Amino acid sequence: MKLLATAALVLSASVFAQGTTIEISGANFRPMPVAVPAPLTQDDGAKKLASEVDGALLFDLQACGLFQVLDRKSYLGAEKEGITASSITFPNWTNVGAESLVKVQLSTDGDTLRGDLRLFQVAAGREDLKVSEAVPAKDARRLAHKLANAVYKYFTKETGPFETKIAFVRKTAGGKDVYLADWDGKNAAAVSTGNINVLPSVAPDRSVAFTSYRRGKPELFLGRPGGEPTPLVANGRMVSGVDFSPDGRRIAYSVADGEAAEIWVANADGSSPVKVTDTKYFLNSSPSWSPDGKRLAFVSNRGGSPQIYVMNADGSDPKRLTFQGNYNQTPAWSPRGDLIAFTARDERNAFDLFTVEVATGKVKRLTQDAKNNEEPSFSPNGRLILFTSTRLGSKSLFVMTFDGNNQIALPLDKGEYTTADWGP
Amino acid sequence: MTARTESLLEPRPTPLVPFVALSIGVHVVAALVLSVASWLFAPAKVSLDPPPIKASLVRLGKKRDEKLLPRKEEPPPPPPAAEKAAPAPTPAVPDKAVAIPTKDAKPEPKKDTAKDGAKDAKKSLFDAFNKTARASKAEELEGAEDGDKDGDSARQEGERYFGLISAMVKRNYDVSDTIPEAERRMLRATVKVKLGGTGELLDADLVKASGNDLFDGAVLGAVKKAAPFGPPPEHLRDGLKKDGVSLVFTP
Repeated sequence: MKLLATAALVLSASVFAQGTTIEISGANFRPMPVAVPAPLTQDDGAKKLASEVDGALLFDLQACGLFQVLDRKSYLGAEKEGITASSITFPNWTNVGAESLVKVQLSTDGDTLRGDLRLFQVAAGREDLKVSEAVPAKDARRLAHKLANAVYKYFTKETGPFETKIAFVRKTAGGKDVYLADWDGKNAAAVSTGNINVLPSVAPDRSVAFTSYRRGKPELFLGRPGGEPTPLVANGRMVSGVDFSPDGRRIAYSVADGEAAEIWVANADGSSPVKVTDTKYFLNSSPSWSPDGKRLAFVSNRGGSPQIYVMNADGSDPKRLTFQGNYNQTPAWSPRGDLIAFTARDERNAFDLFTVEVATGKVKRLTQDAKNNEEPSFSPNGRLILFTSTRLGSKSLFVMTFDGNNQIALPLDKGEYTTADWGP
Repeated sequence: MTARTESLLEPRPTPLVPFVALSIGVHVVAALVLSVASWLFAPAKVSLDPPPIKASLVRLGKKRDEKLLPRKEEPPPPPPAAEKAAPAPTPAVPDKAVAIPTKDAKPEPKKDTAKDGAKDAKKSLFDAFNKTARASKAEELEGAEDGDKDGDSARQEGERYFGLISAMVKRNYDVSDTIPEAERRMLRATVKVKLGGTGELLDADLVKASGNDLFDGAVLGAVKKAAPFGPPPEHLRDGLKKDGVSLVFTP
């Protein structure tokens, strides 16, 4: 017996010696602390444009969710440093908690604004990226977006979203108009021209389709900034909620049909329309294309309450995707294909944003306890979501990462903004 | 018998060739049969490496109705406060501290006591609201009613002490978001951790790097920030001190 006990003890000791292994997963991915001192300027022309470039660059880096831009008040002796590694006192940047350092130098040459950016790894005191961009001086913000894209691409190996466009609706004195703007809401230009215009969708060529009540009934129009919108689907029926397929060759939209609403798919110019749902007494609306253009997500109340469904683009094989909550709407399919973001009303009667995994149906909450949050739209790279929120009072546009982190308001002028769509 | 038939140089039929061919054939067949049999009836392979442990502590909380939309995942509860020595007694603060006048000091404006009273009432009302709000938030935690207040998971697995290590390290498992998603899937790093009798960190060694500096730095940082872990149970104490425990990190 004694022998047996000794043997067991030796055996357990030897098993421990072979190595107990604990698996740990579920990392908390957090933004990288980065220092971005004010741009250095080489001439008066650059000095005048510096704050515009600086503001746009800071917003890009803060809002993309990858970086935590450190407070400039904590920077030590930044003003004495140049743009090259030899002129930088890296321990000062380590002391403020920076893991990376972004230095920008601006100069002008006639009407051209030039920006040089250097990215340093602070701990190693090493220059990781050196990039130069030039734009017409009137497009100073675009220079910032180009530089931010270079930093974004260096870390993620993906194209950044900072030169993409968004469309949104802004309440005006006479109704609601559709605007096309830079990703941060700046440089907004009207696409529609009066009356009530809502639910825009940006095509790959940056034309914008939207629902317009300019002739009484809701119809689909197509427009561009500075031009007069033209009818896209205007057949005398109530048509709304258009979405361009990712290749821009087709559109999907909803048509009221008696007490029901059905989803139709047509060519991008509105020709060859085909009804792809047929549920007589139920509503089917808010179609959103999958990134491969083969499927559609949509809202239907055929199961009793509005829920998110997916089906093939020809209407075959419809499947209900959400089973939690009793009021789910405005689906937006991620360009990565794996997630569909949607708005849902929870048991507290608050509207919030959620994602559902297409493969598993697993629902994840993105917003919570911040008034109402609605109408999600993914960035073209699928990493960010643009949405409407009432957390600051009136409806305004916010951006967050696809997993609900880093929720930041777009720097828009005062007003009421809704139904944004993120285009290429 | 002639001299020709007797000659050794004269070729004659021999039975050796068919025998050799038959022998080769039999051996080949036998070898095939043996290899197939050994493959079919071989005992299961024994891995000497112990399987990794998935240890977790179930969280104290109520189970949420599955028909409801989920609440946002709450961050794990803060680490248990270490038992501290009783603080040294501090001298009693007088009811009203006497302000020492300085050169730059401005005279304190006279207080309107009625206004202050209203403010205090308002503040206490808001405090009460805040407390209620906080209390209602805490009720939302998902877990088990017999769960652990230090737990961070919806279900418990494995040895409790390893679950505690896992939970404490996970709270500090912060990784830079700049690591590309395609790269994240392949990241795997192992840190060998040796612990003392009170749970203090004796050694943390990156025995298998992931190849990504940011990730490797983060996992080592997570272990160091999480320590000390609290005294291990008696039966694990020697092993943790001598051989340590390997923490395998994946994102």
